[in-house]
Amino acid sequence: MDANTALLAVVVVTALAFDFTNGFHDTANAMATSIATGALPPRAAVALSAVLNFAGAFLSLKVAATIATGIVDSGAITLTVVFAGLVGGLAWNLVTWYFGIPSSSSHALIGGVAGATLIAVGASAVKGAAIVSKVLIPAVLAPVFAALVATAGAFLVHRITRGTPGAVRERGFRVGQLCSASLVSLAHGTNDAQKTMGVITLALVADHAIAPDAGTPFWVILACAVTIALGTYTGGWRVIRTLGKGLTEIGPPQGFAAEGSSAAIIFAATHFGLPLSTTHVTGGSVVGAGLGRRLAGERSEVRWGLAGRMVVAWLVTLPAAALVGAAAWKGADAIGGTGGAAVVFAVMLLLAGGLYLAARREPVTHANVNAEWTGRLVPVKEPVG
Amino acid sequence: MSQYIDFAVLWKVLLAGLLGGAGLVAVYALGLAALAAGRVYDTPDRGSGTSAARAAGTVVAVACFGLVLAGALLGLYVMLTK
Repeated sequence: MDANTALLAVVVVTALAFDFTNGFHDTANAMATSIATGALPPRAAVALSAVLNFAGAFLSLKVAATIATGIVDSGAITLTVVFAGLVGGLAWNLVTWYFGIPSSSSHALIGGVAGATLIAVGASAVKGAAIVSKVLIPAVLAPVFAALVATAGAFLVHRITRGTPGAVRERGFRVGQLCSASLVSLAHGTNDAQKTMGVITLALVADHAIAPDAGTPFWVILACAVTIALGTYTGGWRVIRTLGKGLTEIGPPQGFAAEGSSAAIIFAATHFGLPLSTTHVTGGSVVGAGLGRRLAGERSEVRWGLAGRMVVAWLVTLPAAALVGAAAWKGADAIGGTGGAAVVFAVMLLLAGGLYLAARREPVTHANVNAEWTGRLVPVKEPVG
Repeated sequence: MSQYIDFAVLWKVLLAGLLGGAGLVAVYALGLAALAAGRVYDTPDRGSGTSAARAAGTVVAVACFGLVLAGALLGLYVMLTK
């Protein structure tokens, strides 16, 4: 194995690690509301979502989208840049997971790649206009669109079923919620697993392992599908709790309205080629569903403080991941070669291990994910017995 | 601004989102309401329970659920063949 092949291997492993965090970070997007309303037991929900993500990864009829190519000059993309970009995205995903903040994995990845390119080649290689039109503007629009649609949906749903007996209403909306959440999971597998496939393909092309116009090799598709499904099954319980319990109290009608809105907007945005982040859409939908319920004259509280913190995190995602991406490139470049990338990867593993241990001190799991929201992510421990 | 924003795409996404995300959601709710309307429940004054009302409720409900299902499948199809 020559040095370049070893570096390529490190890049592929990092990409799959990113894919894994993409999975567990985004389980919440599809399943948080179903878990919060009890439409499915927590572990069954993440298992269903995992299976659908796996299936979704195979579903797309289009070649894997190369996420970074429109954002930076394709000539600037070397293996080290791809690697550093992945590290930036990975680090941001891990930190936001620890704090239970739903944040966009694609933005983290784009930020990481942009940061690495900035320091490796210079500002000229980063397409500023593309970042504004493909990243920043969609990030503002996604939650607004989703909130609008979900508000309308939740309002209508509450009005229409006002006289419907509680039992039919609860059961009916739970079934509906399951179906719409399944659609979101499937869409997530299709869109997000593809991003990692694109990155690995990009690395293979940069290393001349495959021809530039070659399609994604099957092993890449399979590896990405398996990894994102495993990540999803692990269940990012901290993020699920914020989205399902923190933002607003979700009953089956709002849960259904929120997932219906998310699914419709993600489908439409994918179809028309508007790059909206699933995470931003889901966050907006959940808030909108809370608003719609209130509009229909029922008691409902949206915790704006928490929603505000989420929006701040979304704004910080790009620069923060860029900073880490730049640092990762600098570090790998200073040490040089495969060894440099390996050292940066080891530092990354230390960060992951540290956050994992810190999270274990105050765990959020399938067992306490639905505990009453008391203003903080980690539920107050109930006395045993 | 318009070099950054493709308004032609934006309103399409918003319209499709409203039709599917709020419209179909409302149709599903209508289906549930219709399903319940024709049946007898423990609560007084809810549902007449005559067989005609029941049948009518069921027909409306099936139509509603069918429409939602068709919409969801169409959505899935257009997403995959983008």
